[in-house]
Formats: sequence, structure tokens, C-alpha cells
Amino acid sequence: MSNLVYEAVNWNKPTSELAQIFWDQQWKQIWFPEEIAVSKDIKQWQSFEHQETYKKVFAGLTLLDTVQTNIGMNQIATYATDLQEKAVFTVFGAFEAIHAKSYSYIFTTLCTNSEIDELFEWVKKNEYLQYKASKISDIYNSIEEGNAESLWKAMFSSVMLESFLFYSGFFYPLYLGGQGILRNSAEVISLILRDESIHGVAVGFFAQNLFKQFSTEKQDELKVWGYELLLDLYHNEMAYTDDVYAETGLSPEVKSYVRYNANKALMNVGFDPMFPEEEVNPIVMNGIRNEGSTYDFFSQKGSTYAKAKVAPITDDTFNFGERK
Amino acid sequence: MKTYLKLNNDVLNRYSSTGQLELEKDREATRRYFLEYVNVRLRYFIDVEEKIRYLVDEGYYEKEFIELYDMDFIKKLYKKAYDYNFRFPSFMSASKFYDSYALKSRDGEEILEKYEDRIVIIALYLAQGDKSLAERAVEAMMEAYQPATPTALNSGKRARGELVSCFKLSMDDSMNSIAENIGYCLELSRLGGGVGVNLTDLRPLGDPIKGILNRASGVIPVAKLLENAFSYSNQLGQRNGSGVVYLNIFHGDIENFISSKKPNADDKIRLATLSTGIIIPSIFFELMKRDKDIVLFSPYDIYREYGKRMSEISISEMYYELLDNPNIRKIKRLNARRLYTEVKKAQFESGYPFEIFDDNVNDVHPLKNIGRVKMSNLCTEILQVQETSVITDQGEPNEYGLDVSCNLGSIDIHAASKADDFGQLVDTAMRLLTNVSQMTYIQNVPSIAKANQIMHSVGLGAMNLHGHLVTQGILYGSKDSIDFMDCFMEAMNYYSLKTSMEIAKERGETFHRFEESEYASGAYFKQYVEKEEKELSPVVLNALGKVPVITKQMWQNLKEEVMKHGLFHSYRLAIAPTGSISYIRSCTASIAPCTERVEVRDYADSRTIYPMPHLNNDNAHLYVEAYDVNAYDLIDLYAAAQKHVDQGISMTLYVTDAWTTEQLAKIYIYAWSRGIKSVYYVRQRLQTLEECVACQI
Repeated sequence: MSNLVYEAVNWNKPTSELAQIFWDQQWKQIWFPEEIAVSKDIKQWQSFEHQETYKKVFAGLTLLDTVQTNIGMNQIATYATDLQEKAVFTVFGAFEAIHAKSYSYIFTTLCTNSEIDELFEWVKKNEYLQYKASKISDIYNSIEEGNAESLWKAMFSSVMLESFLFYSGFFYPLYLGGQGILRNSAEVISLILRDESIHGVAVGFFAQNLFKQFSTEKQDELKVWGYELLLDLYHNEMAYTDDVYAETGLSPEVKSYVRYNANKALMNVGFDPMFPEEEVNPIVMNGIRNEGSTYDFFSQKGSTYAKAKVAPITDDTFNFGERK
Repeated sequence: MKTYLKLNNDVLNRYSSTGQLELEKDREATRRYFLEYVNVRLRYFIDVEEKIRYLVDEGYYEKEFIELYDMDFIKKLYKKAYDYNFRFPSFMSASKFYDSYALKSRDGEEILEKYEDRIVIIALYLAQGDKSLAERAVEAMMEAYQPATPTALNSGKRARGELVSCFKLSMDDSMNSIAENIGYCLELSRLGGGVGVNLTDLRPLGDPIKGILNRASGVIPVAKLLENAFSYSNQLGQRNGSGVVYLNIFHGDIENFISSKKPNADDKIRLATLSTGIIIPSIFFELMKRDKDIVLFSPYDIYREYGKRMSEISISEMYYELLDNPNIRKIKRLNARRLYTEVKKAQFESGYPFEIFDDNVNDVHPLKNIGRVKMSNLCTEILQVQETSVITDQGEPNEYGLDVSCNLGSIDIHAASKADDFGQLVDTAMRLLTNVSQMTYIQNVPSIAKANQIMHSVGLGAMNLHGHLVTQGILYGSKDSIDFMDCFMEAMNYYSLKTSMEIAKERGETFHRFEESEYASGAYFKQYVEKEEKELSPVVLNALGKVPVITKQMWQNLKEEVMKHGLFHSYRLAIAPTGSISYIRSCTASIAPCTERVEVRDYADSRTIYPMPHLNNDNAHLYVEAYDVNAYDLIDLYAAAQKHVDQGISMTLYVTDAWTTEQLAKIYIYAWSRGIKSVYYVRQRLQTLEECVACQI
């Protein structure tokens, strides 16, 4: 038996700034793909022109969320030192698993089995997808016990993945959904986005705290490393976008959206944005608003419900003071 | 990429990032929408005559109602409508009309109707050959009256759904009744209605069947059957059917019922698409106030012991009697506060259940001597007496009771304040609603057909309150706004009663058992003939515009006439939530506050950005968003309106996720104490992460 002393996570005393807030926010917005009636998209799907692009976009997203579940959040949770932060990463990981599964839910609803098998084969063969998956995974797998620098690099990569690399894929369903095409699949994406935006902010925030502990020279060195990684991923992302969106004529718009999100990812980790500001398609921008849009009875489910904060009813609940 | 969609989306995008409203973008979007979409699809007709002939010959319009009029008159009516020079005020209104309401060719390629054409057809169809009513209908609809969606959408079309859209059914504690009602739900859902079903009279889980204990499955499996019936029966695949089930809070199955809408509920009991509502008698609030337990009962025992269904008795009056009676099983004891906290949790997590305050409804029910109101409908504004049918075995005759169908319409408050003759406007609206009710015959649901023939109920409501208040510089929820609502709804009540009395006089017919109602005894008018006439501020008077302030003397005269001639309608007023229909007219919904100054509206078919009517960069502060309106002020405003509405008002409450279940309970209790009859769903805006951490990072 080893002599290790095991410590229990104590939520009664905050050990990490904001861990509780990120935890609460994430659970408040719990959702499951089965709640969204993707089957209502089937009719439109049958006559949809760019099925190939759409399927590939979703297949690509599945791979990224798989990496993020199996390696990313697990590795970060393993090596993070604060017990509350570890718990938060584990919860994030669980949501990533829901995301990865929800793409499959959309596939199952819209595609045939052989189409689905082909897609998963395509994922294995697409060089750009494999490139970003392996690039990020390598960094995740290089975390060393007690090496804060390696942990920071993993967190940095995680933010790049969640706030930047996903968006070349998110673009398409948002773009279509805003125009009334395949709206229910877009609803799933908007719920995923709602989670990814907390993950990006939270992991970015923890990364910033870690970053502050480094010496100025180390910080400069890591900055160079970070921008180089981003640039590397950015070139790959541009090629991936051209590849996947070839038939649709949308590549330029997707690219400006990707740059917009690359800037956001950098800001999440406390770095200055890199690309000049540019106009992004307003329909896509409106697709990522986090507030729930107005609910319509006969239409699909609104994206707004959350966990309740329970407080007991007391005598005072019946006291309205001046108001009676 | 459609440029108009991009322009329309840009309005929100700019507004969110700069706070500046660029309405010219929305106008440009509307212009481009016509250029790129509408005009190229609009079928060209040489004149009205050719248009009518074509649409009748091709089988788009029914022939019969057109033949009631001569062509010269029809032409005159079209001219009258077109002389208003109507222009769609927003992209939302134009796109909603052409997407959902205008008549299109069967292949969906050609647009066959413009806005004015639709109005004229509705008028001709509903007036049933009465030329003067047809003319008044065009005036009313071009100015301030809006029939509900099913009427606006379906009138005059040969391939159409029903004109009414709202139904209530009572289910009895027998397999025959359950099966029969599921059949009704399939039928009504096929016709395009939202259906409410009362489950209070079904025995709970574990109750005896044929005297053997622990055999009954309770209300949830029945609710699941109904849910499946609604999703199977959709209107030509256009939209899923919708339904709501109601249960009394003292019913043995209440705990399962409350948690059935939670997203993490067990799949066997989870109701994914069916809405739920609970009926709460005042005794529940009283027990909760004193921190007591409540006892759950079984309708099976109540029926055996008293010969009455659970929904037919007042639990508030009978509670202690039931407790003391040894033949009534006490199914379970629950702490009232804890149970209500469970209700609030469920509402936070799912928005459901709706709540109906049983005694607030029945205490002021003008038909209380005829029967109890047991439940409500899908939007909690319809509150009418029902009588349960007895469904017998095959080959034996059923005894049909009374169920409810309701047809609705709304007055645009802003436009009404400017209309020359408010009394005439309400009169026209009431007559159009009456005709819809007379033209409706739901053959396959005999209890509804019967009630429709003898009760003549309608539901006239109002919309665009917030929009109107903004034009008057009045803050939503302020004293002025409450005084305004009070006077406006009083006038609606007065004129709708007046018309109902006049129709009864003209036809020599009242609704069934009028003589037993509080209208006949005069008791209903007590609140008005003895009212205190209050001083109104100039702001309120100005906001009322041409809407008359009703005096005690006017009420006294009307009271006498009603007692003498009777009323044609058993129910007249109900304020619906008015979703898409208010958007076409560029109105704010119902009497509710706007939820967002620039709203994002997701329909199954599109996402549209909708800046609130009359909103500009100078009056944005008056458009307080619902989540920022004090909930108690909002309830006071609804309470002021409720006094004058014989049925209910669809009232949504708005909370943020910063609220606790206790705070939510408190506003419901307040609503109950103010005489509110029903609360529709709870909406909450999830705070975005930026808001959450912004103050801390």
C-alpha cells in the first residue's frame, strides 16, 4: 500500500475562484439531444442540396468533441491541481460526451446506416481533420505531473479547440437555421454552443490564472508558442474550410467567421486578438446569442430552462407588506 | 443568400453591438422582400371580378358565400379595403403574412392574395350575406379588429381547417370515457385545435378496480396516451397537435403529475410535448399559509360516497368533510409548502405546470348556479362551465354533457383608442365571433357540438397594450397604466354585454339557462352600479382617446336591459396570448410586456427579427422588457383587467435564474390573493455567462 494521503474535495470552502460559478452555470443548462425533434427536419433534408457538406461538417464536429471528451477534459482534469477545478473539468467532459452523442442523434435521424458508416470512414481519411485532432491531442498527451507549463499549453489548446476550431463547423447549421432550413438540427447546435462558450471562458480563465504564475520570460516564450500554434491551426482550418465547403460558395464567409472566433479564443486566454475586425454574416451572429429566443407553442422547444434554486416557503412568503 | 433576411438580421446585430436601432434596415428588408420574393410570385389579375372568378373556378374559394353577394358590392368592398393604403410596418409583419396567411397556389409557387384581399374574404365569409356587416367587418379589420389565426387563415378557403381552435374536454373515470375522449382528441387535433383534457376525475395509481385494490394505473399513462394521440394527429403535417391536461392538486397522483414535465423525469412518466396544468383551490393556500399538511384524495371514493365527481365539488368547501368521513381514504399526507416548492422547481425547469386558482374562478363565475368551471384550455384564458358526458357500452345511447369550443378575436388597443366609435367596433367584433360560433359544427364531438349550439360562447380579447402605452409615454406597470387597463377593459365588458343583449333581443334567443345566471338576477352588475367613480389623470384620459369612460348610470341602464332581454352569449371575453397574429398587425402580444425590445422569433420555418412597434431610439426606455418589469406591478395590472373579464387572461410570469423557488412561490401567492384566475407559463431568461462573471473578472 502506498503512503499517499488522499484529500477530499471540500466545496464548503472556495479553493478556486469561480469554480462554483462555472459549475452552477453548466448544470443549469443541462439538456439532452432527444428533447429536440430533429425528425421535423427530415422533410427538408430529403430535398436539401448540399447534403454532403452538411454531413461532413457534422462528422468533423463529432471527431473534435470525441477528442475533447476522451483526451482533453480528462487529461486536464487529471493534472489540474485544484480539486474543485478538477470537478468542473470532469463535468465539462460529461457535456462534451453529450455533444458528441448528439451529432450521432442527428445522423441517425437524417441518414441511412451506410451513409453514416461512410462518414466515419471519411473522418479517418480527411487529412485536415486528422491534422487538427492529432495536433491538439499531442499537446494533451504531453502534460506532465507537476509541470505547470505543460498544463497551461493543454488548456490553451483546449480553448483553441472549443472557441475557435469548432466554428468552421458551427457556421453551416447556424447559417441555414437562421434562414429556416434544418432548424431543429440548428437548435441542437445552438445548445452545444451555449456549453462550449462556458468551456472556452472557464478553461481560458483558469489558464490565465496559471499564466500569471510564470516569469516574464516564460510568459513571452509561451506567447510566441501560442501564436505559432494558432497560426498553424489557422492555415489548416482555411484548407479544411475550402475542402468541406467547396460546393457551396460559402468559404469566404466561413473564413471570416473563423477569424472572428480565433480572436475570441485569444481573448479568452488573455491574449490580444490577431486578426483585424471584419463583418460577419448577421444571420450567423444572431445564431450564437446565448439568451433563449422567444418560445412558440406550436413550434419547437425553446432553449430556455434551467435548474431551480430551491429556497423554502416561510411565513414571510405570505407577507406582502404595503401591497395589500 | 436572401438579402432581405440578411438585412433583417442586421437590425438585431447592430442593436446588440451598438445599442442603436437602425429601422431603415428593416424597412429596406421589407422593400427587398417585396421585390425579390412577393412581387415575382404574385399572380396578376386584370380586376376583382377576374380574381374572384378564377379563385372560385379553380376551387380555391368556396363558391357558396361569394354567391350571397352581387359583384358590384364585392368590388365596392375591395375598393374600400384598398383605399386604406395599407403598408406592412415591419419585415416581420410582411413575411409572417405571406409565409403563413396568404392564399397560395397548390404547388406553393404563386401568391394569390394580398393583405387586403384576405380581409375582404374574411369579411364576406363571416358576414354570411349581411352586406352592412361585411362593410363594417372590413372597416373593423382594417382598423382595429383581428380574428384569431384559424379564422383569419381559413375563412373562405375550400381546402381548410376549422375556424375555431380551442377545445376543452372532460374525461370520466371509465374505460369507455377514456377511449371516447382519445378519439375526440384525434379528431380535434386533426381539425387544428389545441385541446384541454381534465384528468381530475380519474382514479389515481393503486386505486381499486372492480373492488380489487392496487389495480389502477393512475392518470399518467392516460396522459401519455393523449400525448401520442396529439403527435399522431397533425394538421396535414403542418404542425403537431397540442394539448394540455389538468389535475386538481388534491388528487392522489399529484406528485407524479408535477414532476412529469421535468427534463430528467423517467421516460415512462415524462410528458415531452403535452402541457400540464394544476387546479388549486383556495384551501390549499390557506393550509400552506398555516404550514399544514394537505391530504390527497381519490375521486373514486368521492364519487362512491357523494355521487359527484371530484371536479364537480368545491374542495375548499368540502375539505374538512372529506377529512372527517371514514369512507374517504386519505391517500397521502404532504406538507403543503414542500409540495408547492416542488411545483416551483418544476416550473423553473420546464415552465410547467400552469395554475388555475379554482375559487378565484368559481367565486365570480356568473354562471355559478349552472355549474362549476373545472379546468382551462391550452393557453389558460378559456374558463367555462362543463358537464361530463356519460359514455356507455356499444349499442346503448350516450348521455352527452357540455364541453367547450371557443373562437377568439382581439382588439388592437392602440388602434381602438383612435377608432371613431368604440361601441360599434366591439359590436362588429362580437357579431363576427358570433357568426364563427354559429358556422362551427364539430360533428364528431357531440358534447362540443351541443354546447356550441346552446351556449354560444366566444372570447374577445385585446392586444398591443405595451405598444399603446409606449406611444402615450406611460410606463408598463405604473399606476396610469393600471388605471388605463381598468377603464379600457370595463368598456370592452360594457359594450360586449350590450351587443350580446341586442343580439338576444334581435333573435329572441338567449344562451341555455340564462335565467339561472347572475346576469338574469342582476347580481353580476353589483360591482358596477355600486362602483366608486374615480378621478382619472389627464394622461389616462388621453390614452383612452375615443374609448368612452363608462358611468354608473350607463351600467344601471344596461343592467335593466340585460335582465329584460337576456344575453345571447354564455361567455364573451377572454384575453389570449396572441402570438403570430399580433405580429402581422405590428402589435405587441396580448396585454403582456414585450420580452425583448428587438425580438428574435423562431418559428418552425424561419428566424425573424422584430423590433417592437413604435420603438425608436428615443423611446427605448419606455419599452421596459418583461424581465425588468416588477412582477407585482404586472400582476396588479392583470388583476385590474381580470375584474372585467368573465373568463380568463393568459398571464405569463417572467423570472431570471437568479430567482429562488421561494420568490417564485411568493408572486404566485400574490397573484392568487389579487383574484387572478390563472397563470400560464413561467418564462425565464437564462443569464448569459458574460452577465454572470462580468462583475467578477
